[in-house]
Amino acid sequence: MNRTHNIKNKIGRIVRGAAKGLVLLLILFSMQNVLNAQTKKTIRGSIIEKSSGEPVIGATVVEYDKNKRIISGTVTDVNGNFQISVTDPNTALVASCIGYETMRVDLNGRSTLELQLESGAVDIEEVVITAVSSNDPLTNVAERDITGSRVKVDMLNSQIMGGVSAEEALQGQVSGLDIISSSGDPGSGSQIVIRGLGSLGNAKPLIVVDGISMDIRINDDFDFGGADQEDIGDLVNIAPQDIKSIEVLKDAASSAVWGSKGADGVLLIETFRGRRGKTTLDYQGKYSLNIQPPPIPMLSGDEFIMLQLEEHHNAYGAYQVPPEIAYDPDFQDFYNYNANTDWIGAITQPGFVNDQYLKISGGGEKTRYFTSLNYQTNSGTTLNTPFSRISTRINLDYNISEKLKFSVNFSYTNSFKEGNYSLRGKNVRSMAYVKAPNMSIYEYDQFGNPTGDFFNPINSYQGDGISYFNPVAIASLSSNDVTQNTVVNSFLLDYNILPWLRFRETVSFQYLNEKANAFLPYNAVGTDWLNNFKNQASETNSVDTKITTRSQLFIIPRLGKKHNFSTILMYETDQRTQDWSTLNSSKSPSFDVYDPASNAVIRNIRSGSGDFRALGGLVSINYKYRDRYITAFNLRADGSSKFGANRRWGIFPSASIGWRFSEETFFNSIKGLSDGKLRLSYGQTGREPGNPYDRHAIYNTTNPSQYIDNPVIIPQQVQLDNLKWQTLSSWNLGLDLSFFKDALTFTGEVYRKITRDLLWPKYEIPSSSGFDNLSWLNGGELENRGWELYVMGRPITRDEFSVNLSFNISQNINTFLEFPDNFNNEVATTIGNGQYPRRASIGEPIGSFYGFRYLGVWPSNESVVATNADGTPILDVNGDKVPLSYMGTYNFQGGDAKYEDLNHDGVIDLNDVVYLGDSNPALFGGFGGGVNWKDFSMNFQFLYRTGYQIVNEVAMDTEGMLDKNNQSKAVLHRWRVEGQDEEDMLPRAYLGHPANNLGSDRYVENGDFIRLNNLSFRYRMDRNLVKKLGLNSMDIALTMRKLLTFTRYSGQDPEIPQDSSDPFWFGTDQARTPTPKFYTLSFSIGF
Amino acid sequence: MIRKPIYSLFISLLILSSCQDWLDLRPPDGLVQDEYWKTKEDVRATLMGAYQQLAQMDELLFQYGEVRADMIERDDNTPNFIRDIMDGNIYPDNELCDWSGFYKTINFCNFVLHYNPLIYEMDPTYSEIQKQGIEAEALFLRSLSYFYLVRIFKDVPFATEPTISDSVNVYLPATKDVEILAAIKVDLNKAKEIVSDDYGSLENNLGRANKNAINALLADICLWNFEYEECITYIEEIENSLVNLVPSSQWYSIFYPGNTIEGIFEVEFNESLDQGNNLYNITYTQDNYTASQTAVELLSRETAKEITRGEGSYRPTDFKIWKYCGSSNDAQSVRPSSERSSGNWIIYRYAEILLMKAEALSQLGEYDQAIEYLNRIRARAIMELKSAPDNNQAFEDLILEERAKELAFEGKRWFDLLRMGRRNNFARKDKLISIIVQNVPSNKRLVLVSKLSNPLGWYLPVSDAELERNKELDQNPYYAGY
Repeated sequence: MNRTHNIKNKIGRIVRGAAKGLVLLLILFSMQNVLNAQTKKTIRGSIIEKSSGEPVIGATVVEYDKNKRIISGTVTDVNGNFQISVTDPNTALVASCIGYETMRVDLNGRSTLELQLESGAVDIEEVVITAVSSNDPLTNVAERDITGSRVKVDMLNSQIMGGVSAEEALQGQVSGLDIISSSGDPGSGSQIVIRGLGSLGNAKPLIVVDGISMDIRINDDFDFGGADQEDIGDLVNIAPQDIKSIEVLKDAASSAVWGSKGADGVLLIETFRGRRGKTTLDYQGKYSLNIQPPPIPMLSGDEFIMLQLEEHHNAYGAYQVPPEIAYDPDFQDFYNYNANTDWIGAITQPGFVNDQYLKISGGGEKTRYFTSLNYQTNSGTTLNTPFSRISTRINLDYNISEKLKFSVNFSYTNSFKEGNYSLRGKNVRSMAYVKAPNMSIYEYDQFGNPTGDFFNPINSYQGDGISYFNPVAIASLSSNDVTQNTVVNSFLLDYNILPWLRFRETVSFQYLNEKANAFLPYNAVGTDWLNNFKNQASETNSVDTKITTRSQLFIIPRLGKKHNFSTILMYETDQRTQDWSTLNSSKSPSFDVYDPASNAVIRNIRSGSGDFRALGGLVSINYKYRDRYITAFNLRADGSSKFGANRRWGIFPSASIGWRFSEETFFNSIKGLSDGKLRLSYGQTGREPGNPYDRHAIYNTTNPSQYIDNPVIIPQQVQLDNLKWQTLSSWNLGLDLSFFKDALTFTGEVYRKITRDLLWPKYEIPSSSGFDNLSWLNGGELENRGWELYVMGRPITRDEFSVNLSFNISQNINTFLEFPDNFNNEVATTIGNGQYPRRASIGEPIGSFYGFRYLGVWPSNESVVATNADGTPILDVNGDKVPLSYMGTYNFQGGDAKYEDLNHDGVIDLNDVVYLGDSNPALFGGFGGGVNWKDFSMNFQFLYRTGYQIVNEVAMDTEGMLDKNNQSKAVLHRWRVEGQDEEDMLPRAYLGHPANNLGSDRYVENGDFIRLNNLSFRYRMDRNLVKKLGLNSMDIALTMRKLLTFTRYSGQDPEIPQDSSDPFWFGTDQARTPTPKFYTLSFSIGF
Repeated sequence: MIRKPIYSLFISLLILSSCQDWLDLRPPDGLVQDEYWKTKEDVRATLMGAYQQLAQMDELLFQYGEVRADMIERDDNTPNFIRDIMDGNIYPDNELCDWSGFYKTINFCNFVLHYNPLIYEMDPTYSEIQKQGIEAEALFLRSLSYFYLVRIFKDVPFATEPTISDSVNVYLPATKDVEILAAIKVDLNKAKEIVSDDYGSLENNLGRANKNAINALLADICLWNFEYEECITYIEEIENSLVNLVPSSQWYSIFYPGNTIEGIFEVEFNESLDQGNNLYNITYTQDNYTASQTAVELLSRETAKEITRGEGSYRPTDFKIWKYCGSSNDAQSVRPSSERSSGNWIIYRYAEILLMKAEALSQLGEYDQAIEYLNRIRARAIMELKSAPDNNQAFEDLILEERAKELAFEGKRWFDLLRMGRRNNFARKDKLISIIVQNVPSNKRLVLVSKLSNPLGWYLPVSDAELERNKELDQNPYYAGY
């Protein structure tokens, strides 16, 4: 009863919200006068080019009525002739064609016409759409006059949409944008950072597609680092070939107009639209091979057994060797524990990608369309992880009249991803690295005959069968499938009310449905029959809907040639709803029955829902005098349902000025300077907390929901009265220079960003409060300072041969200026194996790390002597030498790791911890270029990062030799016998050693690297040859991604992600697999 | 034409005026604070949350009362942090130093105490009696939690206001143990006068605060404070109630099925209502703990084996603790599978009250009277009656031994030992220390003995995490060096 009421309420609210947006739309429609049909008259004519007299083919001729509404239209034939029926003999006809000046003629009763078009550079499309679409979708400022900090990367145009080329890759192209991939492991995390970490928590830039902000759930495993057009296409769930351009807004003055969602930067993505002219049909086929390069070499079964025997013996002495590692042919599992299994090899396969893309576009005077269909399959590089995606897009523009234009964008994507089960936080690949290589994949009986089953013991030497599962069995038998359906639908109405006044309404609907099914059959994992992991099944369904409306009013009065003035008023609404339910069960009757609802033991059923709403208003004023002095002022107000009534609204101003000094007369003397602009901007943006209801103390039942027979309801979180907007203020000073007609361009920027009232997620409070944390706490200040430089040159620009080169470099310094009250700047002050003590300090960048100094290995027991500062041994009361100890509880022995006793007190403890390094790169950026020669072209793109340190956590995990996990081949060179003293040897193997693997500089390395990120070759078939085949164009391209990395770093990948959720973050490399290499062959045909 | 944009602007303004309401969203699942506190049922449901939070701490209460004492020993699956405690390797990062469970109970009680008078004004069906009853229960639970905290950590933050919002100051310094004890005695004496005397069912009557429970807690606090006369006055009130010892033949029914005439305050569990305890797992299935050699010796010191309490407390074949898994004191039949984790955690029962009185009387020198009370417990256990020892210390030992046997594995032993060690200005601290170090490997004993001569070492350190979060707190000086 209550539930249905809620649903009704919700639907009601959604409808009402949408209705508010639509009201405006409808009112505008009603303003249109409906025309009555009249008698028709046929007009014939021809169009020729004025200078040459050649007929103009494919030009459009359109009739407008007195309301500037298009009534009819036609296209000229191969001889330049046309024929059109007009309703009014005195009407005006407009003739236009790409590459020609548009011409308007009054008929004055004539029935034949001969028109002469002048060729010109003006793009007719821009005339008709009044230059809206290529400008900023919110403020309508032309790219040339932008005074904030933003960079646009144009994708190749549709005719040459061959393979993925270097130009298309974003990484390393844009200064100040640091996109980092963490590793080649599928499923490893990474992220995108625009100008440093400005906030805590999941700072992710807003992604806007065709003016619509996308409510995208970015999975933790999204690989922003390798993100190029392909991946961003995947991210926003559209075909990458549909992307026309990607633009990055960097300073607050630019992103401020997007409101709170854009506080961490904005990525504007534009897709292709239909162009007037003949219908074009393009096809592209792409075949790609992804190869996982060889991973860190791991121990073989025999080497592993030897290592484990040593670990066991050193720790416990020579007794009770577990039978799994004792050579005992009578042991019933002898054959199962004496294999040499390459677990990683067993779950790895080459990945094949097949990508088919078809697009059709074209249109006439009234209607233009762009439609595309993309189908992709990817077999994945891990066993049984195929992926397929089908996506479609329709972009439709309809000119109702010269004054009124209507656009519809529709896209639908269906993706299906199969995956493998993860158990206790370990996926198939991470398990393959630690799984004992002496265990066999398949089971043998005690005589060595295969039984045909996977070898899944309930307990093995390493541990229980769930914590140490058989990765091949899980990959082969379990399933973890996710199906997603995404629909994005947006309507745009553009109405030129008066020459100086335009209104635009945008309404968009997004719908995302996700269904995840997972099943773990009992024969995939070693458990007993009572265990919950037996035939475990789960199903999760979620639906996200989002409705946004945006009303814009553009006031652009014509104030003469010297003054350009425009004002934009905007009002936005945004509402989202999420519903999800999940069902977990286990012990279904058979491993063939994997529906969780089928007669299994239901372990839990949960569901939830949430609503979020936001409103935004913007006043934007832009003024330009003589094309020299440019100013912009924006004032944005944001209201969000995530805040309480008293703190709901945030007001965020921004302002910028620009001076195009190259227009000044006194700069005319500088030869070669074609454009020069100096920009200064200041802006504020606000950021809101993550979940919609965090500010409330939600009262709910617990599990169990009763005490005796009395119901229980308790507060689940602390009510937040003080929750408010986090504000980011940013200054930006920029200089744009362009020489020799844009043959050499230069952009330099300096910026400073300060984040105030930082939102701390899950801020820990004393447990004596009865709670563990506050969902959010505002407090502290964070500063990001930096500079960026971008240089681009086209040294050779001949028709047959052209070269372009670009280079960018950035630096960002990230510092805490203030912590919240009661903030504890040291955590994990206990030390132990694998731990680095963590500190955060005022005035220090995030990412500094501390630890012990590692000095090698103690060669023998006698050598372990604590010394005074002068090097003499410390003696005890009896005059005996005192051995160095760890925390006073363990005396080091021969073969143990040797750490520097900095204070010479004979004890290795927290007092011996020193600063080891900083994970923030001093400099990062990219460079690249392209060469075009006749029909061949070649592009390359490098990226680099330098001046930072990494903790090689992989080495820490695979060279520690103190647990039962498999280790890397590096441990073969370890201390084994008393007195052994060799260069670069590792400490001894010792099961559960208290101090052999402490956080020390043993694992700290410089991460500097240069990577050849993209290399592509393209051949475009000769036009004449293609024409003979009856085609328009034909391309073949070969693209190689992440081909080469130059670094001294010994780990797999020096590119490490930054974790902005944690002020104590420092860079650790957890990648066990180097970045995969991609080889893509593609061909495209245009009809 | 010109009017039209003005018209649409006007509409926009209209929409803006209703923004504030449109942006006010509340969670669809669960209530928010200002919607929740409306009726007496709401107060009661949160009070029940406090009981349930206490019920979730059964394993912890067992650990706090037993692991540093001598009645249990480690087994194959004893958690590492418990092994560290047993070995005397107590550091502030030990899990047992996490006091958050008690403070959750306290905070729920504080919520109840804060809103109770407000709801009384709002809800016309809420009677004065009902309101007072709820208040008494919250005061009792809060006092009980603080009594545990003071005995485990000594000085702790004393929160008496709920954490209603992020405006509440949660950075409280520690309050002296004596001040906390004085304050909760005042609260309990108030609660005693207004507590309800009948909740309508046996489970509720024993599983929720009642007059006997409050008197028992007061008596316990007085005993801890060595205020013997006052202690006896509270116990006399209990003696005048209907509570009585169960007969010898039914001694095991105290634990299974529980809720006997002897019960005073029991944390109720009922597996069929999805309210299962953790005690069954830790004592039976998981091999976390077994009865110690000391416990076995105690229970077979006088005869080969105590018939009633012996096999009712542990299973001789494998020394499994039997009070939370058996169905009778034959040490053979395990509880039926549907009721395995239904056993109550007994906080107070009448047998302990009688032993408390014996202790108080003996400390006052009333040996003859004291031995009578002790012998009532022995008689029920079908053991030979004792004659009164002639000195204070011998009597103290006799009572300690009897408590160990009667209340074995009921989370009492460590606090009993601590009380003895603190008594008469730490006169017998050597005995306490010798018991603590029993578990410790012999090569570490000497060091630990000298360390533990500082009585602050008998309390647990404040956990690392708590010190990191709350700068107003200071570490117990005994652990400050770590």
